[in-house]
Amino acid sequence: MIKNQTTLILLAIVLLSCDMGDHIRTYRLPKIKESNNPHQIKDVKIKPSGFIWKKPDLWIPSRGSSMRLASFEIPYSGGVGELSIIQLGGEGGGLEANVNRWRGQIGLGPLSRFEIEAEAENGVSEIGNYQLFRLINLEKKESAFLAAIFPLESSALFIKLIASADGIVDLEKDFKAFCSSMKRDNRNQ
Amino acid sequence: MKQIIKIIGNPKIFVYTLIWLMVLVVLGTLAQRDIGLYASQQKYFSANITWLGNIIPAPGGRITMVVILVNLTFMVLFKHNLWKIKKIGVLIMHIGGLLLLIGGGLTAIFSSEGNMVIEEGAQSNYVDDYHNMELAVINTSNEALDEYTVFDQPILGKGNILSHENLNFNIEIMSYLKNCEPLKRTAPAGIQYRGMLKNFMLNELKPEKENSRNRPGITYRITNSGSSIDGIYGIFFGQSVSQTAVINNQNYEFIIRKKRTYLPFAIELLDFKKVLHAGTGIAKSYSSEVNLIENGIPRRVLIEMNEPLRHKGYTFFQASFIEGLEGETTVLAAVKNYGRLFPYISSIIMSIGLLLHLLSSLPKLLRKIPGVSPS
Repeated sequence: MIKNQTTLILLAIVLLSCDMGDHIRTYRLPKIKESNNPHQIKDVKIKPSGFIWKKPDLWIPSRGSSMRLASFEIPYSGGVGELSIIQLGGEGGGLEANVNRWRGQIGLGPLSRFEIEAEAENGVSEIGNYQLFRLINLEKKESAFLAAIFPLESSALFIKLIASADGIVDLEKDFKAFCSSMKRDNRNQ
Repeated sequence: MKQIIKIIGNPKIFVYTLIWLMVLVVLGTLAQRDIGLYASQQKYFSANITWLGNIIPAPGGRITMVVILVNLTFMVLFKHNLWKIKKIGVLIMHIGGLLLLIGGGLTAIFSSEGNMVIEEGAQSNYVDDYHNMELAVINTSNEALDEYTVFDQPILGKGNILSHENLNFNIEIMSYLKNCEPLKRTAPAGIQYRGMLKNFMLNELKPEKENSRNRPGITYRITNSGSSIDGIYGIFFGQSVSQTAVINNQNYEFIIRKKRTYLPFAIELLDFKKVLHAGTGIAKSYSSEVNLIENGIPRRVLIEMNEPLRHKGYTFFQASFIEGLEGETTVLAAVKNYGRLFPYISSIIMSIGLLLHLLSSLPKLLRKIPGVSPS
């Protein structure tokens, strides 16, 4: 009896092991520009947290969009730069997607994630380490970015400075000092 | 023949397999802690064979359920004493159980789950699977149309040779990595390496518990192209600049991506709205106002957190969103489950069976109570 039952069970296993699925598909589609970024899908946005920082006296708080935690107008020798601080849930769209979007905004082509990471400079602050990106298109010097990305526990903090290429060079030292001064604001807890 | 039917329909098989199923549930639940939910499901419940301690082979959840299904079917069809009016409740319960198993089978084989990601103002007509990957080889030579030849994950195993009449070359899979990272080479690569692998290599990483955090990668060899393109290539999920090759005057692109299912309709995101609890950043509700476009005709629909859109067997739930500087993006969870109604129907049938069985047994039960006689 046991022998027969075992035989039947083994037979069922063998039959089920046969893979009859067709695993090759072909189709034609009109040409589209599509994203292939794995970091796009994120959890629901987290509660924003407060931060405090030290800024140079010349930086003037300004009114930004509702998404921003803060905005500053930053004068330099060639004009006025604009700095914004934004906090987004998860990875905030991901390092690669964000940096490549910024690169696209100033006419630079996309890079792979490891090329981006190779170009990043690392910084340290009380809220964690951050990566600093210097995005300058030498053929379009009127607009360039300095950006810092802080990967936090369940969100990401983005600090971005927009100025001319020369302005970026002028302001880089202050920008790094500002990023390194970031702390959590625990005064309301 | 009668002997075989008797063996297959033996109720002891049902009892033993049910006990084994309970053991699997315990093992699978405990394993979640170490290997994560998805891997545990795959190892203990979706597999025909599960390896206990990676050494001892044992029946997996799928084969166990098949054995129960076959056993129960034979029991219902050939056990003659079940087909009596006295046993009608038991028979109906068995039929309910059978339906439950059939529904489970349909769900396991045909259901699909994934994400549809749509930016405000844009539309999409495909769903990206949560877990399964695919290798897409795209012939981009035509000015208007791209020709896709797509190989599913199950055939991307090491040593497999992929070929298709659309491709004038073969692809030999050298390795499929569940999780990997690109590392810059410290020494010059061999002459057989091409593309990204000339400067980088794919370093295998331990798979993450949360499957979505894994970055799969493939190294493959192109052969029989009849050109210097033959060589070893590597790609990984999320590579922003895809691997390309010109083979016999045809332009090809190689991408590893989530398995993509195209739908017979499209969804356009008109507006994404979020409402926060007053004075906090905590979500109260999210909703996506969309156009469901079928045969060129749009129909406006509102998808809210507990009010999904159901269309052509698919259910679209509001799952998440991405807040960007240029606008918002909605993330809809898309589920297609052919066995969706089976648990409801079989539960009702089994309840009816239980009730009938109770009613038919009632006189007998009452007789056993001293001083009570059924009227």
